[in-house]
Amino acid sequence: MTDPGTSTPTLLRGESLVKTYPDGDVRALRGVTLEISEGEFVAITGPSGCGKSTLLHLMGGLDRPTSGEIAFRGESLNRLDVDRFRAQHLGFVFQSFYLIPTLTASQNVQVPMFEASWPRTERNHRAMRILEEVGLAHRANHLPKRLSVGERQRVAIARALANEPILLLADEPTGNLDSTTQREVLDLLARIRTERRLTMMIVTHSGEVAAAADREIRLKDGLIVQ
Amino acid sequence: MGFLVFITRNLLGRPARTMLTVLGLGVGISAVILLIGVSWGFERSMSAIYSSRGIDIIVVRAGVSDQLSSNLDAGMIDQLRTVPDVVEVAPSLMDAVSFEEANLTSVLANGWEPGGLLIRNLRMIEGRPLEKGDTRAVMLGRVLALNLKKSVSDELVIAGEKFKVIGIFESDSLFESGGLIIPLAELQHMMGREGKVTGFVIITKPEVDPHTVGKAVEAKISGVAAIPSQNYVQNNVQIKLSRAMAGATIGVALMLGSIGLLNTMAMAVTERTGEIGLLRALGWKRKRIIVLLMGEAATLGILGVMVGALMSWIGMRGIMLSPTSRGFIDPKLPPSAFLVGLAMGIGLSVLGGLYPAIRASRLEPTEALRHD
Ligand SMILES: Nc1ncnc2c1ncn2[C@@H]1O[C@H](COP(=O)(O)OP(=O)(O)O)[C@@H](O)[C@H]1O
Ligand SMILES: [Mg+2]
Repeated sequence: MTDPGTSTPTLLRGESLVKTYPDGDVRALRGVTLEISEGEFVAITGPSGCGKSTLLHLMGGLDRPTSGEIAFRGESLNRLDVDRFRAQHLGFVFQSFYLIPTLTASQNVQVPMFEASWPRTERNHRAMRILEEVGLAHRANHLPKRLSVGERQRVAIARALANEPILLLADEPTGNLDSTTQREVLDLLARIRTERRLTMMIVTHSGEVAAAADREIRLKDGLIVQ
Repeated sequence: MGFLVFITRNLLGRPARTMLTVLGLGVGISAVILLIGVSWGFERSMSAIYSSRGIDIIVVRAGVSDQLSSNLDAGMIDQLRTVPDVVEVAPSLMDAVSFEEANLTSVLANGWEPGGLLIRNLRMIEGRPLEKGDTRAVMLGRVLALNLKKSVSDELVIAGEKFKVIGIFESDSLFESGGLIIPLAELQHMMGREGKVTGFVIITKPEVDPHTVGKAVEAKISGVAAIPSQNYVQNNVQIKLSRAMAGATIGVALMLGSIGLLNTMAMAVTERTGEIGLLRALGWKRKRIIVLLMGEAATLGILGVMVGALMSWIGMRGIMLSPTSRGFIDPKLPPSAFLVGLAMGIGLSVLGGLYPAIRASRLEPTEALRHD
């Protein structure tokens, strides 16, 4: 799949993606083709209900397209072990964090590590290092309810980094945050991206984020608008 | 964080439900442990009576359900002695007496022949066994002696008649160690059953099959059943009844327990649909979701076994406070009863946990996350 002439090979490619939800017969995506290069930062924008989340879920192997195909490094997700793909290569950040309320910040970060080969004894230490990276080492043993909203999203980001992914997908990561916190979280994502050389897709309403991205993909009614 | 921490966190996060489930399981499991313990103890006591004396055959009236209601002519002994391969025969009259002042009802009273084979093999711990010519003399089982607070040479009133305690014996059977023995003739007289016995015990030549000898006895004397002691215990109505009761309790407890656990686990899955979807989204395999939920179910099951074991122990203390059970029920619960409880806990976890676990593992990440 990779063009031998280009220096940045394609990491993720979606081909004619169609997604129809059975209940209500909603056609959330109606034929979307896109390529994400390694190291690229892509913003996905568009009005509410146009299929942004659906697209991100498909690209991250959280859901399957009704038709069309997704390839990771040229290998179709149909042929890959998708659970393993998610566990090893993908970090996903949700708009509403989805932290497990009964686990501390550090334990939340360790949840994806069960599916990786890190030795059990190292999980704590690794979680600590990542929490440090997002500036929350001092909150490691706090339950989510004792963290501020911005801190919660940073724990969620740390969790997305647990298994050293190369691809970070974030669905409106700042959608539930006020403007200052939003700023902090976006700065954090930008910093992590450069430090870790991540490929990043962010669904956003913020023009600021879209402007900071390498490329903006606009969706409308389940199609890419140019 | 280890996987076990993750499991316990989930259970500790919902303390009330976890506690109620464990308690429910505990009640079921303790009922099973107690009933099995009592039922097996009962059976062991029964077979100890015969095995400890090398008794091969029991002769009772044909068609009676238990020895107490059997009634035979004592004179039959001469006929029994002439059956080939019979080495020794002893008559026995059984009845129940009560000691109101000690709160003991239905104490087993055995009328045996002084110096006979039944008495000869008793293990004496104090005094002496009944001998020919003894009158108004009684031997007490160790447990009965304790319950009555009597020792050798004390006086004891049995069914309105004064007796003297001449010896105290030990027996592997609680029926015997919780009972008493007086000379056959005296029990016959007291109960107005002169010339009658409830049954005979037979010792055969060691090399012969008791079944064959039993058949020979039944052929020679009409109206009697001559049952090898092994079968006698197995077929005893009370034993059958106690077994059936234990079986029924296990069945009901299993059913209630697995429904309870199923309900808890199904609720846990429904409530945590979002969390399970999240775990799947974070890359957890279906298998790990199953392991997680089965792990939670198993933890509940094991806690249930522990609570059940404790409750059955307490329950046994309670039972021993009741005068009718004292001396009849073995307060030591056999370890095998606890093993059955453990097996039940594990069985319940599997029964109650598997379906919700499999259902949870089938959830797709996005469909599950949409619930929030
Ligand atoms: N699981 C689902 N079942 C049915 N319809 C859905 C489901 N998820 C999303 N939709 C519908 O699909 C369309 C696109 O949704 P989504 O991808 O969430 O849009 P966006 O993220 O751009 O707001 C919407 O009309 C939405 O109602
Ligand atoms: Mg959305």
